[in-house]
Amino acid sequence: MKGRDRMVAGQRPGKGWISRTTSLLHLCLEEIFDESAYTRFLQRTGRTSSPQAYAAFRHDCELAKARRPRCC
Amino acid sequence: MRRSLQICLWVVVAMLGALALATIALHRSEQINAMWLIMAAVCTYAIGYRFYSKFVAAKVLALDANRATPAERFDNGRDFVPTNKWVVFGHHFAAIAGPGPLIGPVLAAQFGYLPGTLWILVGAVLGGCVQDFVILLFSVRRDGKSLTEIARAEIGRVGGFVAYIAIISIIVILLGVGALIVVNALKASPWGTFTIAMTIPIAFLMGWYMRHLRPGKVLETSALGFVLVMLAIWGGQWISQNPVAAPWFTFTAPTLAIAIMIYGYAASAMPVWLLLAPRDYLSTFVKLGTIALLALGIVAIRPTLHMPPLTRFVDGSGPIFAGNVFPFAFITIACGAISGFHSLISSGTTPKMIRRETETRMVGYGAMMSESMVAVMATIAASVLQPGTYFAINSPAGIVGKTADAAVATISNWGFPVTAAGMHSLAQAVGEQTLFNRTGGAPAFAVGMAQIFSNSLGGQAVMAIWYHFAIMFEALFILTVLDAGTRVGRFMIQDALGHIWKPIGRTSWYPSILATSAMIVGAWGYFLWQGVKDPLGGINSLWPLFGIANQLLATVALCVATTIVVKAGRARYVGVTLAPLVWLVAVTFTASWHKVFDPNPRIGFLAHAQQLVASAAPGQEVSRLIFNDRLDAVVTGILIVMVTLILLESVLLWASVLLGRKEARVKESAFVMTKFVEERG
Repeated sequence: MKGRDRMVAGQRPGKGWISRTTSLLHLCLEEIFDESAYTRFLQRTGRTSSPQAYAAFRHDCELAKARRPRCC
Repeated sequence: MRRSLQICLWVVVAMLGALALATIALHRSEQINAMWLIMAAVCTYAIGYRFYSKFVAAKVLALDANRATPAERFDNGRDFVPTNKWVVFGHHFAAIAGPGPLIGPVLAAQFGYLPGTLWILVGAVLGGCVQDFVILLFSVRRDGKSLTEIARAEIGRVGGFVAYIAIISIIVILLGVGALIVVNALKASPWGTFTIAMTIPIAFLMGWYMRHLRPGKVLETSALGFVLVMLAIWGGQWISQNPVAAPWFTFTAPTLAIAIMIYGYAASAMPVWLLLAPRDYLSTFVKLGTIALLALGIVAIRPTLHMPPLTRFVDGSGPIFAGNVFPFAFITIACGAISGFHSLISSGTTPKMIRRETETRMVGYGAMMSESMVAVMATIAASVLQPGTYFAINSPAGIVGKTADAAVATISNWGFPVTAAGMHSLAQAVGEQTLFNRTGGAPAFAVGMAQIFSNSLGGQAVMAIWYHFAIMFEALFILTVLDAGTRVGRFMIQDALGHIWKPIGRTSWYPSILATSAMIVGAWGYFLWQGVKDPLGGINSLWPLFGIANQLLATVALCVATTIVVKAGRARYVGVTLAPLVWLVAVTFTASWHKVFDPNPRIGFLAHAQQLVASAAPGQEVSRLIFNDRLDAVVTGILIVMVTLILLESVLLWASVLLGRKEARVKESAFVMTKFVEERG
């Protein structure tokens, strides 16, 4: 299991706390900005990143994302 | 030994919190430092999280680390993804943090900083955090179902229907009042209008960039978008000073209102990737950065609060909105203390990402504490202003007078000295023509934030840049809520009308998209237009209406939570959800009663309509104002009737269960052992 996957699964990779915090923050931003969702989409569909793949990803998550209200 | 140290540590935290709370509550005649508010907040949250949320987790909810969550059971790499708790925490916080905790506390500061601060702290720890936590957990135990679905399953059909009506009402009113705040912030402001107008082509560019040039590189695209927005702010200064270009971006409130309605309609009908998604990313990027920056600025500057702890307006005669401190302070501040809207997020995406049940405590309870902290910072930003300045910015012309001289005379007579020259130089410092009558809370927050920022970085020379950065931040925030909310409202209408005529329920059928978009924009646009044309500035009527709708949704969420607690056989702990429910019922019903029936025309919709009928010569304008008052009264009445129905249905159900007349059976998904159990430690 790679370090990134271990972090997602909640395990601690063998690094110092500064490095762990930085990678956790990066993971958090990737999740908030849907980069992780795109990576999972590529893994799930066996595609490589391309404009067509990204268009398919946006189409895939469009309805779910567009139905999500933004909080007041 | 270790336990003794822990006890000592918590005793120290409790004493520091008590000292800070006593300082902000009892120092009535002298100014205090903002750090007392920060200390009171941090200590209150620490105690609340360590002890109260632990009690709720262990006794009321009985969190089970062995139980597999829907993210684990349905893991599909799409909606259901077991995710690290800190990542879910950040994701959930980004989803619940909206403009509400920034605007509400600024408006409520008309009572002084004390009522708002106490409500934010107590309301969050005992109400808002509990609501978010329990709804998140109950959704996790029901395969990530939404609040409406849980209400229908656990209470009955009325519960589900009321939740639907409450959600659509709150969306419509929220969008109307949000758009009004943007209009009030941008009217007669070429700098602000140019900056916000530029965010639309910037969003298009971002959409194209991350779709065609760098597919999926959203963080990189958002950073690029942020740089472009900063350039737009810088360019806005040039626009505002250029005699040819400035008039192109100088609009009246009605013109801006029409422009925002057209924008909302276009955003709802356009492809998501083109406008909505990139704006959403840009807004989130700016939001997270600015909140962090504001926190750092407050800690670095440690500003003094100039607003008194209590003002004379606790008696209900406030210029920003009329009404006594009870109940109006408690509906004005919703999102920083308790917000029904959060229950939609807690039963939306977040429960599908939770890896282990025990993590709902940190995500649900903890993220709301962070949101509450944002509200405390907004209170500080409003309270660092001189009270005279604060009231000059926030008071409508209908209350303080249309000229600068009339406004300063009225406000100074209230005991809050302010001069026309002082207001003029402040307006010049922030690059505006005037700061009088800029109702809605956003400009006052921006001035407070600009003071804090400019004292931290760059000094007075860059105050105008910071002010317009703050305006851009708030407007971007609100417009993102607006375009996403319009689309969500459109889907809800399509779903509902689809039961009557199937084609209209097809979300990809363009005639349906255009028709339902027009319906939702027409609904919130009506409230926006009403606010723009209101001589009292609109906020006086619309913000309380929004607060009532939001808190009524929280009432629905707490009814659902209490029902589940009772049915789960934990009635002895029912006070945890019942106490905030009773408080919210008292607050919302009292506020609704005042808004409809109060004899004071500044508070009661019907009294105001009656006053217009009696005093004014009949005319189209007056007839419309009278109709608006009566419409607002009817909307408030419908909301109250709806919530009364769900309350009655819930209470009858609780009585049946407690008296043994009905089998107590919660509708949770079946227990499945987690595969993560070996990681316990």
